Amino acid sequence: MAASEGSTSWSTPEVHKHHEQQTVCHTRPKYREGRRPKAVKVYTINLESRFLLVQGVPAIGVMTELVQLFALYGAIEEYRVLDEYPAEQFTEVYLLKFQKLQSAKVAKRNLDERSFFGGLLHVCYAPEYESMEDTRQKIQDRRRFVTRALQNKAKDCDRTVEKSKMVPMAEVAVCEEEESRDIAEEPDNLTTDYLFGFPLLLPPPQEEFYQPSSFPESTSAAFRGHQGNIRPAEDRMGSTYHSADNCNPPTPTEPQQPPFCINTPMVSKQRKDSRPTARFIPRTTHLQNRKRKVEEAGQDSLLGIEDKSETLIGPKLPEQPKMDMEDESLNITANLIRSTMAKISAVPEHKPAVQKTTKPKPRRRI
Amino acid sequence: MMSGKSKFNGSDRFEYLQALVTEFQDTDSAEAREQILANLANFAYDPRNMEDLRRLQVTELFLDMLTEESENLVEFGIGGLCNLSMDRACRDQILQSDGAVSLVTGCLSSRREETVLSAITTLMNLTAASSRQLTAGGPVLQCMLRFSLSRSARLRNLACVFLEDCCSPAQVDAARRELQGHTQTALGIPLPED
Repeated sequence: MAASEGSTSWSTPEVHKHHEQQTVCHTRPKYREGRRPKAVKVYTINLESRFLLVQGVPAIGVMTELVQLFALYGAIEEYRVLDEYPAEQFTEVYLLKFQKLQSAKVAKRNLDERSFFGGLLHVCYAPEYESMEDTRQKIQDRRRFVTRALQNKAKDCDRTVEKSKMVPMAEVAVCEEEESRDIAEEPDNLTTDYLFGFPLLLPPPQEEFYQPSSFPESTSAAFRGHQGNIRPAEDRMGSTYHSADNCNPPTPTEPQQPPFCINTPMVSKQRKDSRPTARFIPRTTHLQNRKRKVEEAGQDSLLGIEDKSETLIGPKLPEQPKMDMEDESLNITANLIRSTMAKISAVPEHKPAVQKTTKPKPRRRI
Repeated sequence: MMSGKSKFNGSDRFEYLQALVTEFQDTDSAEAREQILANLANFAYDPRNMEDLRRLQVTELFLDMLTEESENLVEFGIGGLCNLSMDRACRDQILQSDGAVSLVTGCLSSRREETVLSAITTLMNLTAASSRQLTAGGPVLQCMLRFSLSRSARLRNLACVFLEDCCSPAQVDAARRELQGHTQTALGIPLPED
């Protein structure tokens, strides 16, 4: 049977009905109106795909920029320009294949109708480029996701029953408004919100005492990824990876852990900041945040707070009290990081004076 | 925003969906019916709503739509069933309804590709041990064999997945022999446009 369709389908562009932008519906009564104007259309898993078709790209040699823009939402496996695809004058049509369906969904939601070098992008799913295996996989994944989500919901139900009395009135009113604006929203919108906004994504309590210890943000983010019940969004992991990658390798005179000199208010702030990383954050924002945090930490240390805390938790201090992550693999990872940290901090031991003077200086990032 | 949503009170959601169903049943406007049906079918995509939609018997509503004249209503109805049937409880509710499977297989003969695709995925979801006779019987398999030769890559892929995952190779062979013999069914062959 037709098994190797994937390769051949890359060479047969064809205009499909679902590529066309449908006319927006303006006749909905207010209470059924969504947040964004939408056509009357039903989304099913069959329509979705990790293949995206991008129309309306100005033909001015901006392929790199386009791919970079889309790569913000997740790893792209393959891309190419569809020369044979009927395009408007002076525009090009691109086909992008994401590694994950989830990335394609978020990218489509965020980049459709976005202006790009003077053109207006039209992004749509292109499931006809899928191979049979792609199709099978996406349906199985979807079924698994629904099952898991409903299981989680059942668990969550018990919890919300307990808490429901504690929700303030104002908040309920806000939610209500939110909800009514949700109507007719694309379902992918709903699901991703659901996936990302799900309470179980919050770090389990044991992290509470773990995180404020002396690891850089990226490692703790990775830890959270391991601990979460729901697999983390790959774009988040991707961005974590990149940001870690982009850091200059820690040098002896430049210890890279701002959290070393933070006191408790800072910690709580950092926790609040880091929660949204469960959702997608472009790498640049991520880096900016980190830069800001480093600067804040630097200011704190100028105020003399650093001296106080440094005597408590400096990199040179003997091993922290042993911490049990209650999971063997987490313990192994923690030990690995601990030993790496020890290695890094072992070098500056010879010249602690130099280290102190350079510390408040905020690190430059590219 | 996120936290507000997850704390959202489930009964309000239920009431909203209930209001949609009521308006759908009461309204005379064909346009409003289409819009609401599309709304409900899209809500069926979100696992948070599945339980409420099941309680509201929206599966029956969707099945009802499959007998409509309007191709839009049929497409949205089967789309909603495709979304809902991902959940086991909803699947069972659909299977309990009389004639549900034949209504769904009827959609295989639609002229609209989207309707046919939704019908195939729904049949995949409905294929449980107890219902296999209906959802993956001879006529359906013959139909899938024809689809597996389709020019449309989406139809071809989905039909192939069905043939590999929802029945045994022996059944496929039997269906192929029938297809070459004289016991062909017309299932999945759309009527010519008038």
